[in-house]
Amino acid sequence: MTGPELDGGPPPGLELELPAKPAFVRTARHTVAALARLHDAPEDLIEDIKLAVSEACTAALGRPEGDGGSPREAIRLTAAAEAGRVVIDVIDPAGLFERSVAGAPSDIDTEDLPFDRLLALPLIRGLVDEVAIDPEEPRGVRMRMIVRFDADPVAGSS
Amino acid sequence: MDLELETTKHDRTTVLTVRGEIDVYTAPRLRQAIVDLVDAGSTSIVVDMEKVDFLDSTGLGVLVEGLKRVRTRGGDLSIVVTQDKILKIFEITGLNKAFALHSSVDEALAEPVSGG
Repeated sequence: MTGPELDGGPPPGLELELPAKPAFVRTARHTVAALARLHDAPEDLIEDIKLAVSEACTAALGRPEGDGGSPREAIRLTAAAEAGRVVIDVIDPAGLFERSVAGAPSDIDTEDLPFDRLLALPLIRGLVDEVAIDPEEPRGVRMRMIVRFDADPVAGSS
Repeated sequence: MDLELETTKHDRTTVLTVRGEIDVYTAPRLRQAIVDLVDAGSTSIVVDMEKVDFLDSTGLGVLVEGLKRVRTRGGDLSIVVTQDKILKIFEITGLNKAFALHSSVDEALAEPVSGG
């Protein structure tokens, strides 16, 4: 479907519900990248956004596949772009962020946690302008990431 | 894009050329490729990431694991990185200090194999 109505109106946001499986992490990062691209985010920033989304979703997966655990609830992702910023929420119903990337070092069971999981939060902090991890109602944990960029100079000129 | 892996032998060194995206889904294949090389006796490995479109911490973890694996056998694992977006990930995590990073396969092959 095409039509001028698709070009107008408020900026589209995203709401994704992804099975908690590694195969879907790629879908998450490319979908958020498409949104950022639609809003003229610079390409190098889009790469940062892709990596941050990938890290957040991977952290929400928890243990690697095949650990014999029970099936996980879907990971929810929302993203919205507005003048000069993209706000991304990754919501993990199981609250695994707390254990895998947000816990105090003494709380992290290093026998249980692969090395790469320890890199996730430092990487995210290095990529986005703001990151916050908070409890989500009624349960779970939400990681909010905000990336800022220069708004479209043409649209913003006066 | 899926992950493509190709190995070529250059004297004592094996070049593992990686194309595509390395993430939590594809990284196990890279891990297995490195394990297979080491099990087959290759302890001097160059991982060519020139054609890698995406790398995350899972991929970094696999590379660190591979580095440990070859070093315990007296070898080394170096990496060819030409793209700023990939290099940036090594720099943010500080892993640019852990690996020998090269700007071409030729440069990596010219480096003498280190290790104990």
